[in-house]
Amino acid sequence: MESLGEKPWDVVICGTGLQQSLLALALSRSKKRVLHTDPNDYYGQHEAALTLQDAESFAAKYAASTSTSSSEGGEGEEKKQSVLRNATVWKPDDAEAQGLKFPRAYSLALAPQIIHTKSKLLSSLVSSRAYRQVEFLAVGSFFVYEPAKDGSVPKLSRIPSSREDVFSSQSIPARSKRSLMKFLKFVLDFESDDQKPLWEGQADAPLADFLTAQFKLDDDLKRYVVALTLALDGKVSVASGLAAINRHLTSIGMFGPGFCAVYPKWGGLSEIAQVACRAGAVGGGIYMLDTTATMKPSVDNEKVSLQLSNDDTVEANSLITGQETTVATKVISRLVAVVKSPLKPLFQVLVEGSPPPAVAVVAVSSAPSPIYALIHSSDTGECTVGQCVIYLTTLSTVNSKHELEQALSMLVNAVEGDESASPCLYQLYYEKAFGDKASTTENLGATPNLSFPPLSATLAFEDSDLEAVKAAWGLVLGDEADEETYLVFEDREGADAEDEVYE
Amino acid sequence: MADSAGAPRPSSSVKLVLLGEAAVGKSSLVLRFVNNDFQENKEPTIGAAFLTQKCNLPTRTIKFEIWDTAGQERFASLAPMYYRNAQAALVVYDLTKPTSLIKAKHWVAELQRQASPGIVIALVGNKLDLTNASAAAAAGGNSEDEDEEGESGGVSGGGDESGDARKVSTDEAKTYAEEESLLFFETSAKTGHNVSEVFTAIANAIPETSLKSTRGPGASNAVSRGGDEQRVNLTGPRGDAAKDSCAC
Repeated sequence: MESLGEKPWDVVICGTGLQQSLLALALSRSKKRVLHTDPNDYYGQHEAALTLQDAESFAAKYAASTSTSSSEGGEGEEKKQSVLRNATVWKPDDAEAQGLKFPRAYSLALAPQIIHTKSKLLSSLVSSRAYRQVEFLAVGSFFVYEPAKDGSVPKLSRIPSSREDVFSSQSIPARSKRSLMKFLKFVLDFESDDQKPLWEGQADAPLADFLTAQFKLDDDLKRYVVALTLALDGKVSVASGLAAINRHLTSIGMFGPGFCAVYPKWGGLSEIAQVACRAGAVGGGIYMLDTTATMKPSVDNEKVSLQLSNDDTVEANSLITGQETTVATKVISRLVAVVKSPLKPLFQVLVEGSPPPAVAVVAVSSAPSPIYALIHSSDTGECTVGQCVIYLTTLSTVNSKHELEQALSMLVNAVEGDESASPCLYQLYYEKAFGDKASTTENLGATPNLSFPPLSATLAFEDSDLEAVKAAWGLVLGDEADEETYLVFEDREGADAEDEVYE
Repeated sequence: MADSAGAPRPSSSVKLVLLGEAAVGKSSLVLRFVNNDFQENKEPTIGAAFLTQKCNLPTRTIKFEIWDTAGQERFASLAPMYYRNAQAALVVYDLTKPTSLIKAKHWVAELQRQASPGIVIALVGNKLDLTNASAAAAAGGNSEDEDEEGESGGVSGGGDESGDARKVSTDEAKTYAEEESLLFFETSAKTGHNVSEVFTAIANAIPETSLKSTRGPGASNAVSRGGDEQRVNLTGPRGDAAKDSCAC
């Protein structure tokens, strides 16, 4: 076994979350000496995909409801909170008898974000050639939950989200169609000088009010439109709401008809983190899972010394970490449920030539505190055939867990008519705190230490989360950083060359 | 046996992963197979970790997509994503190092638990050139002499004889391979002995039903791991399609 401590590392990256892993990918052709560690024995950290065994250790590790970790200070002392908390797992006593398979048949994604086809994450994966190792699936229809009214049963209504869709929709009255069309046309162009005056003055006002005032959308259409923003904040603003809907609409059709977003098979962003780490390893980076690195008091001022849990000591010229605690400005609650039903009606192909979708999005409840469900079919590889995994998310309140559980049964009822036929086989609940989006950089002696913030608390991947990766890349490479080469690589030898035929 | 100018044989892609302890010669086997080359004292694997090589069978062509470990096995840092959805696995041990066979058995158990059902697993004892059997192999050279049955004679007890570094007997590994229904070979990446045979045997053992043709538009990225029609091609239609189907 080689000696890890012999020479200082150009960079030690602690944690294999998405951002750290993308950094490893970005550095994979740089000739820098990279040591990449993770305290867990799996990749992905806060973006990991968990087997049921992993989920249990995850719940044990983050069971605490830590509200504060440093409260002794007086005024001005920041109250930092653990990023993950209140985690629990639950399953019915007879889960196995009801159909729960062995623990490793499941991959519960801690980062089930959908990725819009326009996202820079995808173009970076293509330009860096890492995309070849990821299988992307289509995100299909978006629905809103309709409670029972006038004796009807609760149901899910599909949101028509393209012009063709609106034209062919049977459920929207003609007059409403015209208003909706007008709005869709506007939003595609909302940043142009022609359209800006229409909304700029009320950029921070609630989107719902704007829709009524400017486009006379009725309540149903307003709910559709607001649901498309995927905003967890019930009062999404005009500016961010329009940007989100614009992203949705302009993403449709980019990689094929009928879908606006993709999802990596086998566990979402976890898969991208793994592939990026693999690229790091191919580039010569050394990977150590199940290894913690702790800072040692430095002997000289030049380099940081790290004590690894395998007793090695290593030195680093730069250190990249992820924030484990944060000054929370927002907390989300998430319930991940394995359900014994494929919920087939949610995964229909509606546009000719579009790939069969593996993910459906449902706005289960709207204002004041929206609850969204991302439903993954077994095609995602996250559960076995005949089941599905449902990820419910809302902004955290004291009642969130209960509300999410209720939303889950409402949702299953609305699709299946009868919940008892499709019981929940397994649940993971946790809360995740988000703070200031910025990464923090401090100097430890002469060694810079950059720490990534948690990924945005959103249901769709936010490109702004990529900015910290580029900053870290610049920090490690210093003068050698050439923007033109950032995540732009040739295929490795053999990846797609015309190969000789072996007889 | 060059490909005749007739109709092209059906071609299928097969994901093949390499597993085994560090330094047993995984990459060297692939290098021998793909480039017919061998590097003495090769550095631990970096660089090429994804190679492709076609293997022509009488009725079809198999294109192996070979995933090397990129050295991540060194600190127990290989993760399931590496081997799940693989259709074939090469589990390699060093027949001069008994612990490497134990590690190989761990990988086989892991694959049987975690990988796709029906995965074809080949157990390969490498570094045959370090054993006495290599003399016969080197002298014989032709494939008729390279039946592994012939090499097993007299080496069941380990390598005390001069020049024989063998520590894992052919019988022991072969019996284990039979119990677990694995293909079994002893190879030398250095001399090339039995290397191509391993890959041909794997190609032959892949059930026809698990293969899909990869010819046709966009096929180079849409390999046959099931559910191809679901796979979104990120280098696929842009521009035109976008105009057709978005709301503008």
